[in-house]
Amino acid sequence: MRPAHPKEAAQKPTNFIEPARPQPSMSSREEPLSIPERDFILEALGQNLRLDGRQFDEYRPLNISFGEEYGHVKLQLGKTSIIVRISAEITKPFEDRPFDGSFNINMELSNMGSPAWENGRSNDLEPYVLEALDRIIRHSNALDTESLCILKGVSCWAIRADIHVIDFDGNITDAACIGVMAGLQHFRRPDSVVKDGRVIVYGLEQRVPCFNDSKQVIVDATRKEEQAAEGDLVIGINSAGDVCYISKHAGAPIDAMLIVTKTNLAWEKVKVLNAIVDKALQADLSKRADFGMADESRAANDRLIQPE
Amino acid sequence: MQSVTRPPQNNHSDTALNLDPTILLPPGYYQHTYMQSGNMSAPAVLLPSDEVPRDNLPTDNSNPLRLGPGLRILSQPSSKGSDHVLTATQAGMLSIDAKRNAASLLTFPNRRYIPTVNDFVIAQIHHSSADFFHCVITPHTPHALLGQLSFEGASKKTRPMLKQGEMVYARVQSVGVGAGAEVELTCVSAATGKAEGGMGPLSGGMVFDVSTGMAARLIRASSAPVENTDPIEGLVVLSELGRKLESLGGFEIAVGRNGKVWVDCSDAAEGAVKATIAIGRCLQETDQQNLHAHDQKKLVTKVLRELKLVS
Repeated sequence: MRPAHPKEAAQKPTNFIEPARPQPSMSSREEPLSIPERDFILEALGQNLRLDGRQFDEYRPLNISFGEEYGHVKLQLGKTSIIVRISAEITKPFEDRPFDGSFNINMELSNMGSPAWENGRSNDLEPYVLEALDRIIRHSNALDTESLCILKGVSCWAIRADIHVIDFDGNITDAACIGVMAGLQHFRRPDSVVKDGRVIVYGLEQRVPCFNDSKQVIVDATRKEEQAAEGDLVIGINSAGDVCYISKHAGAPIDAMLIVTKTNLAWEKVKVLNAIVDKALQADLSKRADFGMADESRAANDRLIQPE
Repeated sequence: MQSVTRPPQNNHSDTALNLDPTILLPPGYYQHTYMQSGNMSAPAVLLPSDEVPRDNLPTDNSNPLRLGPGLRILSQPSSKGSDHVLTATQAGMLSIDAKRNAASLLTFPNRRYIPTVNDFVIAQIHHSSADFFHCVITPHTPHALLGQLSFEGASKKTRPMLKQGEMVYARVQSVGVGAGAEVELTCVSAATGKAEGGMGPLSGGMVFDVSTGMAARLIRASSAPVENTDPIEGLVVLSELGRKLESLGGFEIAVGRNGKVWVDCSDAAEGAVKATIAIGRCLQETDQQNLHAHDQKKLVTKVLRELKLVS
């Protein structure tokens, strides 16, 4: 074994014309993937191999922990790392919807997550992820906004989820979605005087990025895999098994049957991910019980139910 | 006459004696310096701005002393009596290579690479202009310049036509001075005009990211004499991989100080992709988990078995 000897004989002739490559559509400031890396990742996928030794349908290790306060989630999916913070305040409901509270998801991709993102300047990835989260969590009624009403037309709760990306190695959509859902399940809003509602939280989503080059579809792509991808497919499923979101934004076309089979895969994954979230919630609950906070941790409704 | 009490001079051997360097540095660093300096004195641990103690430097005066990363000349000799003052710019341990008459500093595994003259790096072509290829050494930093003609045997007509995204193995020629200074790369040796050490375009294979500390270890391990290879820096992962993959046709590897490792196993025919992935995973895990020699061997066996490369 000799060190450091690139092969001269293996060089391509200089007049070799490279076929046109699709440029990565997302996060345009990202340093482009080099040709050897892109070729190798695709070649390896062609042989059913991924760089980190995962199966195509295998997630990176998911690690969820909760902070001291309710609704403070730290989530790591491989090297992707995010913090989600859920907060609540009382506001006036909208005129046209006097019974509804509001729920908003905010995300800002700052320099902290990746040097490719500039502070204060939006990039392509941000609206893309926010749109998916909006549809999956907000519009699918994962959080029942009617329960956030305190007094009709006068006051309601405004729930706000803030997502901070600490480190970026692909698959922000999944990480953010799992983080927000875990945060909502963990969050306890303060008691209100007039009436107490209940925060119903269900559902999780599942993202299936796809490599259509030679019909390879993988889940939970890393940053480099995302850069080599030709398209992606996002499937959102709640914990009852209802598909609440399917998105196939741009990139290579995919077979309709593939969406059906991948939805089945997504449902399997949702169960696994849900179990991880539940386990983390249970662990947090029992930790709090040790400090005599179990009562506090129970859902707000239960505390108010008094024998007549 | 008035006597003045002077504060005790900074004694580096004292600093060194009180510190267990293995706490600060990856495994094997201690052992490495120990062997290379060739004497039984404790290794010198330097902090930024510390002077390099004269006693530790090689005494061979026939060749100029080569300075590696982390060291710089603070002042030129002003009169006959005085000498160069070398200082450390980073915290680390002094490493002396008596054979090459070189001194360098073994620092911690940085995330960010700072170009130093004579480093070998793996650069990615970003775009080309009339005279230069503009290359990326580290992402999101100003581009480094690689002359269109600084390849072996290159002339106006025979220069390589590199496209965006292609990789080259190059040497840092100059780093300039001050803010906004341009880093220049070259793919030929200034002395011989040849592409020494495998410099030139890298085609095929795969590039893996490691920490700069790991890249430095790999380079030192590869330049070490054969009989010393085994215990050096506790880094056995490459020799172990080389031994196990020999039957497949072996592999080629180029290590860039900027934390990139290029691996090519195209001789291995159908096992090429698997072998490349195996090498990349072994290097990255050794780096991230800071494995000791024994664990590195176990890792190699585990990964190769997982990929069904050895029975």
